[in-house]
Amino acid sequence: MLRTIASKEYRELLRDGRFRWAGGIVAGLLLVAGLAGFIAWREQAAQRDAAQATMQATWFNQPPKNPHSAAHYGLWAFKPQMPLAFVDRGVDPYAGTASWLEAHRMNEFRFRPAMDATAAQRFGEWTAAGVLQQLIPLLIILLGFSAFAGERERGTLRQLASLGVPTATLLRGKALGVTAALAVLCVPAAVIGAALVTMSSGASGLLRLGALSTVYLAYFGVILTVVLVVSAQARSARAALVTLLALWAANGLLVPRVAADVAQAAFPTPTAREFQAQVQRALATGIDGHSPRGARADALRDSVLRTNGVSSVDSLPFNYDGFAMQRGEEHANEVYAHYFAQLWDRFGQQDRAQLVGTVVAPVIAVRFLSMGIAGTDFGQHRAFAEQAEAYRQEFNRVMNHEIRDQARADESFSYQADSTLWRSIPAFTYEAPSLGHALATHTVSLTALGAWLVLAALLVRRERRIEVA
Amino acid sequence: MTTVTPSPLLEARGLTKRYGDTLALDTLNLSVGAGEVYCLLGANGAGKSTTINCFLDFVRPDAGSAMIGGTVAAQDPIGTKRRLAYIPETVMLYSNLSALENLEYFATLATGGRPVRAELAQHLRTAGLTDTQLDQRVGGFSKGMRQKVGIAIALAKGADVLLLDEPTSGLDPKASNEFHRLLGLMRDRGAAVLMATHDLFRAKESGTRIGIMKAGRKVAELRADEIGHADLEQLYLTHMHD
Repeated sequence: MLRTIASKEYRELLRDGRFRWAGGIVAGLLLVAGLAGFIAWREQAAQRDAAQATMQATWFNQPPKNPHSAAHYGLWAFKPQMPLAFVDRGVDPYAGTASWLEAHRMNEFRFRPAMDATAAQRFGEWTAAGVLQQLIPLLIILLGFSAFAGERERGTLRQLASLGVPTATLLRGKALGVTAALAVLCVPAAVIGAALVTMSSGASGLLRLGALSTVYLAYFGVILTVVLVVSAQARSARAALVTLLALWAANGLLVPRVAADVAQAAFPTPTAREFQAQVQRALATGIDGHSPRGARADALRDSVLRTNGVSSVDSLPFNYDGFAMQRGEEHANEVYAHYFAQLWDRFGQQDRAQLVGTVVAPVIAVRFLSMGIAGTDFGQHRAFAEQAEAYRQEFNRVMNHEIRDQARADESFSYQADSTLWRSIPAFTYEAPSLGHALATHTVSLTALGAWLVLAALLVRRERRIEVA
Repeated sequence: MTTVTPSPLLEARGLTKRYGDTLALDTLNLSVGAGEVYCLLGANGAGKSTTINCFLDFVRPDAGSAMIGGTVAAQDPIGTKRRLAYIPETVMLYSNLSALENLEYFATLATGGRPVRAELAQHLRTAGLTDTQLDQRVGGFSKGMRQKVGIAIALAKGADVLLLDEPTSGLDPKASNEFHRLLGLMRDRGAAVLMATHDLFRAKESGTRIGIMKAGRKVAELRADEIGHADLEQLYLTHMHD
């Protein structure tokens, strides 16, 4: 019986010119957004690889120079392109994908595409994730708003209801029919996506694609159920359409925006200028504000002289400047770690606060899950930034220790190291969090989406009686 | 020797329905047995359609019960609907589907099985559609043709109860005559038919019994073969003028 209802719905939809037009446009947009995203992704991956190789060769081929100069010369850490970043670019366009690693300072990320965006792009960039989160729900509304309300208006619901078909069966059958019609539009895009992911990233990418597809299927299931239930309850097809469009706008546009603004107001972050000022102040006076730089340097020198039983740094068995620079780095590392952790924790709090909005707008949970699975959420940006920072600290440590251990007391800044030292620094490699880890950081979103699914199932069960007139 | 009276297939017991201040049905009692055509006459708003809607469980009575085969419709709406076929004033069909596809859909849902296409086509032919019309989308069908599809649904379902709500209203005399021929066919197969109508002539011709309703109450009930056309019309008008 379920199959009969589904097959009839499917057949009717396919014969409906409105479906062919609307579906064709959305499927076209999905394909174009996916393919354009993939082409851009591939180009960026190639640019990244080329930049990484050039940077590495330049580093290795540095002429002999002082290690501290080399530390200032610096290195770049480029965030690798995650397999599904072409589906969902997440925070990358805003957070940046490359960091310049140098002595003394932890730099902010650079190369943020959002900074170079044209005015038109500020209205929103069409990505596959955008189509999946915004346009497919709109298409589901267009396909399903008249499922019951339209039948009621045409009088066929009366005929149908007289046959003794349980309401829940009718609802499930209609849901299956709309799903089949949607599959006609989405499956080709999914197959092309799977082929592209397999070509570019292999099995790990496919696993992520599977997880991403599951999340979006669950989301579409929730939307479809709400659409059918509203259609079953509405007095007319027009009322159903207006109600559903209002819900669509609330889910896709209004609530996410309000949630983001409320989260920002509840957990404000400093401006870039304020943040830099805080860091500079702490670098000068210590995190507690009571350890001025000069006093710290004096205390360090006195302590080293006392420990080694000498009266001058020139008498130490190692280069004091190299030693002191490393201690200075460690202090700066502590300051940066403290303030960046504070800032990032704030971003995390904002993300969690936004999730409150998922009570009325499931798209918020889906957005976080989509970015998480695509490897472009803030958590994974932070993971990359932390690994890049650890790499920066280690490479500075090696440079400072080279001076400490190899330079004489009078040649702190004239000592020259050669390519043996440069080559001892391994290339930066980013260990992206696993899919499991990425999902584990989004348990609230997963729970929220699960709760929406349970609610959808309950709504279907609750629909025992549909008014026929 | 004791005679066993078979329980009626359709029975209303003290059926009462109120819409706000309006009493749509007032303790209505009626019963229709197998092979009987019970015609409900009455002006608009007399309660004819509400009665049918109670049997269909589209409307829940405030008191009393509408029973099909001894089962209260409100208590087992799915089970009771399995036994009946419903033909409204205009049978509404899916305009994007052909007559055969419509019948296939409704018959599959009604029987829960997978009906044989050839048999369905035969039901449509029996109902009066031509072979060419079977595969035409019903979007362009006249009302008469749609009613024929409605009859075919009833035939395919093998329903032993027929609920007809002004099924010939607006049909031309030929189509109306054709419809009543099909109704006779269903009656001869043993179906119990309850038909709400304004058509006194057809009620007298096709009905076994006739009930006249006014303001939710059954004001008269008579056997169709015991009254002439003119007397029926006079009786009806008398009640309407009271």
